[in-house]
Amino acid sequence: MKSNQKKAWLFLAPTIIFVTFFSIYPILRAFVMSFQSGSLINLNWSGFSNYQYIFSDPEFWRAIKNTILYALISVPVALAISIMLAWFIFSRIKHKSFFETTFFMPYVTSTIAIGIVFRYIFNGDYGLLNFLLKAVHLPTPNWIDDPAMSLTTIIIFGVWTSLAFNIVILMGALRNIDPNYYTIADMYGATGTEKFWRITMPQLVPTIAFLLTMNIIAAFKIYTSVYALFNGQAGVGNSATTAVFYIYNKFQIVGTPGVAMAATVVLFIIIMFVTFLQRKMMKKIGGR
Amino acid sequence: MKFSKKLTMAAVATLALVGTAACSKSGNSSSSSSEKIPSKITKKTTVVFWNAMPGVQGSTLKQLTNEFEKKNPKITVKLENQGAYNDLQAKINSTLQSPNNLPTITQAYPGWLWNAAQNKMLVNMTPYINNKNVGWGSAKASDIRTELLDGAKIKGTQYGIPFNKSIETLTYNKTMFKKYGIKKVPTTMEELKDVSETIYKKSNHKVVGAGFDSLSNYYTLGMKDEGVNFTDKINFSGSTSKKVLNFYADGIKKGYFRVAGSEHYLSGPFANEKVAMFVGTSAGEGFVKQGVGNKFTYDVAPRPGKYTMQQGTDIYMFNHASAEQKAAAFKYIKFLVSKSSQIKWANATGYIPVNTSAIESSEYKNNKSIKLPAKLEDAMKNLYSVPVAKNSNAAYNQLNSILQNIFAAAQKGQNTNSQINTGKQKFDAAWKQ
Repeated sequence: MKSNQKKAWLFLAPTIIFVTFFSIYPILRAFVMSFQSGSLINLNWSGFSNYQYIFSDPEFWRAIKNTILYALISVPVALAISIMLAWFIFSRIKHKSFFETTFFMPYVTSTIAIGIVFRYIFNGDYGLLNFLLKAVHLPTPNWIDDPAMSLTTIIIFGVWTSLAFNIVILMGALRNIDPNYYTIADMYGATGTEKFWRITMPQLVPTIAFLLTMNIIAAFKIYTSVYALFNGQAGVGNSATTAVFYIYNKFQIVGTPGVAMAATVVLFIIIMFVTFLQRKMMKKIGGR
Repeated sequence: MKFSKKLTMAAVATLALVGTAACSKSGNSSSSSSEKIPSKITKKTTVVFWNAMPGVQGSTLKQLTNEFEKKNPKITVKLENQGAYNDLQAKINSTLQSPNNLPTITQAYPGWLWNAAQNKMLVNMTPYINNKNVGWGSAKASDIRTELLDGAKIKGTQYGIPFNKSIETLTYNKTMFKKYGIKKVPTTMEELKDVSETIYKKSNHKVVGAGFDSLSNYYTLGMKDEGVNFTDKINFSGSTSKKVLNFYADGIKKGYFRVAGSEHYLSGPFANEKVAMFVGTSAGEGFVKQGVGNKFTYDVAPRPGKYTMQQGTDIYMFNHASAEQKAAAFKYIKFLVSKSSQIKWANATGYIPVNTSAIESSEYKNNKSIKLPAKLEDAMKNLYSVPVAKNSNAAYNQLNSILQNIFAAAQKGQNTNSQINTGKQKFDAAWKQ
């Protein structure tokens, strides 16, 4: 077995140093701070009291519940729609690049800007969405100002925003599939559905696995879209509060960094666990 | 091999440099409280001022600052806008742990700086106020209203000087009042309810009678009018509290009251004639005026009920600055709260002047471009502000989301009791963090 070249360390050094200082150190510091209480200026040890506080805080559980629901609903739905749209563009549409650009546009637009526009679309009194719903005689819920609807609104918005990135990556993956597969399938008279499930889907599995991991992690860290959609707060009556919102609020506004860091550690563990599960699952499905 | 060694050396050297640069700033943080106040600024001095003043407010502050710099050529004031109040609060909170990066002075609510005061990071302003060269000689000579000065105290110490102060007022649609035959502008909450009901009925349920911008203020003042101060002793599900909450909730159930929701302010719906009157900050008059335009005439009246909220920030000074900087900063503060500056400030923004002589001056009273000045004296009879105590700011903020939940239930016609009980848990938890 070959040993690593010593020189490699030199070339890795800048990255290692930066990662240590700006990624690993903050994680460790967060972990340490989660056992401390007091304001940032004078922290002192307090054992597990921060964890006790968050586990008995209904607001924390609501934040975690909202985050998990958001991740579990919006990610699969968005992925399914993206696969459908990508496949549609890839197989049936002529001016692919035009549509690709159109679908990619939201990704390069700032979430805050989109959020503000959607705030008006979703508005209960004069919003575009309710105008359309009314036109076809469907119920018109108050998307923004009804606490019971907040999470649904966030999920719809989340699905819409994640389409852009997903579609572009999937289009790339679709192009990489060897066209000979399809030619041979055609020779044997395979139907469109057969081709999709027997050729396209298996070929897409690695890409889907990648997107699933990225999307789930991003979904757990949701903050900006909530902030933009509800005008700077976590929904009416904090109904759409998420884990990151909880952390930010406890750290910056309430001034209890220890509690915020305890919540950070819990969120970190949840994300790690979910990612681990997902990798296991994808390995089984992909058979590799 | 030689090349790689050189590279390593270079890398190590760079790192060492970065390291020392980061540490070298933490030298002179020990400034004692007994230091002398310089009577004159002889060296070039820079004062950094963190603020959260947007639009007209920001540009007026800039004008005043330029004026001050012209009069005091040795002093430079750097205005650093930190965004909205929330952003400013967050920025102060996170910077408190590296005091050398704090500004010389900042706008703030006293509640934000509770911890900073506990850790002796703020400057006690009393010696500066009493100093004849930099200050006025005494608090009385400053002519700043006593209740405003008291509002800028933390645990009895004068850490802040009031600057941009506003009160809650009632803004109403005069044209609509005439149309529906309402002769008397409501002065009590009962009258507010009656007028709202009348308008709602007479407009065939098209126009909502009234609403309150700040739900936290609604609750705090509602309780104060019932004789209950804002402390951790408040029983949120008690009978007085329920009375205050259900007064608003009933109105929402029946349709004649509403809340601002995610729009945060009712000035929008007010300008679109969806609501006939609303209670909000006087500093919002500029927005009302702009929104209403020539569509109808509006007017401002004292807030119904006995008390009104005194809100808006004060200016606080941090301890890490040099003696010269502190003196220069105080001179600047003194300039900002002087009669002439306050008149300019109030006339441009809708904030209220902090000193009595400015309020009584004809330049302010006769200002026809906004409606507040003529009504101000009546509106300011009984002022109240959120008492500064541990977690009072957190509890006050929490009220907003608690009340939103209660009123959302009312909107759907549900009973508010279960939401009030949940609210009690959250309210008590906010006091105990």
